[in-house]
Amino acid sequence: MSEHFIERSRYLCALGGAAATVTAIPKAIPILHSASGCAGNFAWTQNGGSGLQVGGYCGALTTPSSNIQEHEVVFGGDDRLREQVASTLKVMAGELFVVLTGCVPEIIGEDIKSVVAEFSSQGAPIIGAETGGFRGNSYWGYDLVLQALFRDFVATSTDKERLKVNLWGIAPYGDPFWRGNLEGVRHLLEQLGLEVNSFFTTKDTLDSIRQGGSAALNIVVSEVYGLGAALLAEERHGIPFLSTPLPIGPTASEIFLRSVGTKLGLSAERVDEVIAREKGDYFRLLEPLTDCWNDLDLQRYAVVVGDANYAGALTRFLADDLGWLPELTVCTDPLGEEERQRLTDGLATLASGYRANLVFETDASQVIHHLRKKWPAGNGATYQNTFAPAFVVGSSLERELAQTLGAGHLSVTFPVANRAIIDRGYTGFRGGLRLTEDLISSIVGGR
Amino acid sequence: MSYMDLKSPPRREERLKACIAHGGSVCDLGGKGKKSCLVDDGERGFTQGSICLLLPALAMLNTLPDNVVLMHSAIGCGTCTHSQNANVRFGGNVRWGKVKDGVWLSTALNETDVISGGEEKLEQAIIEADERYHPFSISVVSGCVPGIIGDDIDTVVKQLQPRVKAKLLPVHCEGFKTKIWATAYDAVYHSIGRTLLERSRVDGAEEGEGVDAGMVPYAGLERLPRTVNLMNVSSMGRVDELELTRLLTALGLEVNVFPVFAHPEGMVKATQAALSVSTCPTHDDYFLTYLEERFGVPYLLKHMPIGIENSGLWLRDVARQFGAEEEVAAIIRKEEAELQEALAEFRPLFTGKTVFVSAGEFRALATARLLEELGFRVVGIRSFHHDEFAQGEYDKLAATAQEDYPIDIANVQPFEEVNLLKRIKPDLFLGHANGNATAAKLGIATHVIYNTGLAYIGYRGAYDLARRLARQLKNPTYNRRLAENLTLPYTDEWYGSHPFSYINSRGGTTV
Repeated sequence: MSEHFIERSRYLCALGGAAATVTAIPKAIPILHSASGCAGNFAWTQNGGSGLQVGGYCGALTTPSSNIQEHEVVFGGDDRLREQVASTLKVMAGELFVVLTGCVPEIIGEDIKSVVAEFSSQGAPIIGAETGGFRGNSYWGYDLVLQALFRDFVATSTDKERLKVNLWGIAPYGDPFWRGNLEGVRHLLEQLGLEVNSFFTTKDTLDSIRQGGSAALNIVVSEVYGLGAALLAEERHGIPFLSTPLPIGPTASEIFLRSVGTKLGLSAERVDEVIAREKGDYFRLLEPLTDCWNDLDLQRYAVVVGDANYAGALTRFLADDLGWLPELTVCTDPLGEEERQRLTDGLATLASGYRANLVFETDASQVIHHLRKKWPAGNGATYQNTFAPAFVVGSSLERELAQTLGAGHLSVTFPVANRAIIDRGYTGFRGGLRLTEDLISSIVGGR
Repeated sequence: MSYMDLKSPPRREERLKACIAHGGSVCDLGGKGKKSCLVDDGERGFTQGSICLLLPALAMLNTLPDNVVLMHSAIGCGTCTHSQNANVRFGGNVRWGKVKDGVWLSTALNETDVISGGEEKLEQAIIEADERYHPFSISVVSGCVPGIIGDDIDTVVKQLQPRVKAKLLPVHCEGFKTKIWATAYDAVYHSIGRTLLERSRVDGAEEGEGVDAGMVPYAGLERLPRTVNLMNVSSMGRVDELELTRLLTALGLEVNVFPVFAHPEGMVKATQAALSVSTCPTHDDYFLTYLEERFGVPYLLKHMPIGIENSGLWLRDVARQFGAEEEVAAIIRKEEAELQEALAEFRPLFTGKTVFVSAGEFRALATARLLEELGFRVVGIRSFHHDEFAQGEYDKLAATAQEDYPIDIANVQPFEEVNLLKRIKPDLFLGHANGNATAAKLGIATHVIYNTGLAYIGYRGAYDLARRLARQLKNPTYNRRLAENLTLPYTDEWYGSHPFSYINSRGGTTV
């Protein structure tokens, strides 16, 4: 892993993540206070990485942007932002406007807070977040928008509703399967009888987001993404939070449901009943695959390459549910020591007893070197126990690795350039079935 | 002193008086009116985001084989490469039968770097990239952040060059410095010229030392009397290159496609050519002037070979340089006859249908002419910028227009487009990449005006475009169903306002 550069980064800057997040909020309009090229860069990035999803109600090249230039760098951009916000309120039809700053205004020391306050004091539904690209990557930008919502939009409430939760931890467009994944977790929680605000699904509204302050628990289905907002909401709204791995497949979903049940003090019978029903369905549906699973010898060695959510979640599913052999797991996010430790600990004990091997490597061209440490390349010997049959679950950039290994391949984590994704998701019990279908389909494609 | 002696090329705002904000009409800009915005560029009081010069620059740099792109900026800059990588993969495959991802890196400047500077990080990144990837060249591309904090990529490159094997190409793409993203072409060409073509620098000698007197090819190379440089900055896919190569080969010429997908080591060949032929003045004027002044390669920079008449004009200009007027006349006669016959089946479907066209200025105008030739009636055009090179194209369109129609000079700005489209209600819309969704959500049949996997250029392009448009018009249900069920994010107040009411409104002057 290079200390001085990041190879083919699998995320954008904070502003890119923030803009995508606002686009995903119902009837929300992002207003970029940035150079003119930022919005276009995000559109092209989504085009190439987010499973063919670009923008939405207001995203991509539709995004209002102050497009500041050298003049503003020299003379300041406050007036330009003020003008842009005023004109945006006239031209764009939205119910929530979110001002997001890019690198240029932040480096020159612009203060957007006062401009945003001027408009909100006049009754405009507007908030802001400082999301300069150099502040972090798109997952942090996602977190910053959630923080802004909890700080300036979500109504505070002293009365908590015992069966109401907020759900996040899956970044829109950063996870190409964000809609389906959110819906999958939402479905699990609804089975428990919970009312769920998940911000970005078709079931969510600005009103349900505003009422999120009365939730009894914030559930973050990530061990990294969105934790800043969870801490802020705990402090500001007195809502405790539960951070869990992304639950893909029956084993992880069962653990997830039990931890939510425990945290909320739900009756164990209720939780058991839901798990039994979902699990029963899962295996009844899986049952007819069993002959071909055996006849076609569909078990695989696997390399998993993914972001902080997917690396562990996919590994768990492969090891604990599908019965594959994930020999190497690579997390491509640049993470701090504490975050790395958290993810490593989380994979230390798998339900199946399989021993995962997690490494942190931002530069995926180096994955092959990590694999070769344990599994040397074929040396031409008559008998050699090589890494085959193999499969690579990662992004579309892992196609070269798969080719080198003679392995199958499925794009799941950003960038996904080679699949069209609308609302497919891999979370929950049903998500495990979808992932099984997709993995196996890619193996038998030539049949 | 030539522009090439500067570290970075001048902005097109100054060099060409190019502009991006004007609401006019075809009669204003063409024919006798000619009220262009070249002198006084208006600013909009409401703007939407677009791209900056970084995006087209990367579209070129990512295609260069054996080249690593090293972004020096915050981590988001250049992630557009994720979509451009499809062109790298596809383009490599159709040229060399091999699919390969581009290699792009970022120094990912963070808060500490913003405060203490990123030059040392860049140095280390260059050294490490050189050792890890062993590329022929590393393009060191600066974004906004180094432009503001004052990192000097040229000095870093100059000091480091003797210590690394790869040729280092500094490319300036500080997005806030120019609103004309076509400056990207100048930025990349500038770097290619200074780094790969100037003898003094290629040989590692001091500036000004050992430079040829000029007007001859790069030192030690011969003039190739039948070779033409066919300029492609990534606006043509392989299928379009092949069409033009086919036509030029018929004139007995050899074609050197330059610079996309050209190996940096072989780029000196461009100095040996007998002629450089542009397909778009917006792309190439800066570099072709340089190639002529420095290496004596004359150039053609007038027509874009999109459209039947335009393809003929383009081809005739080339043939004239080689005294092949008669041959070219015969070729054009044959090509046109064959094409017109093939197009006959589509004419009934196209005739009288109205179309709105949006793209970079020259492409938009040339495509509009082609659509007229196919039987459509042009009812509106958005050009992403405006400069003097397009005058001839506006004149052509003004001469053929049945009635006046709006010309929107805008760096995309879909809010103006949606307002115009609601009024004009065209049957068909042709827009650039990531630029068709607004029209689609209005239920208008749409087609992409640029895609490196599709044919647009020459006679083949005219026919293939016609086929694709016939397909779109035959069943535009996808868009109609969108329109029935989706709402665009604009207010009724805006739909009721004049489409150009935010032009020249900056600072509250005229809204």
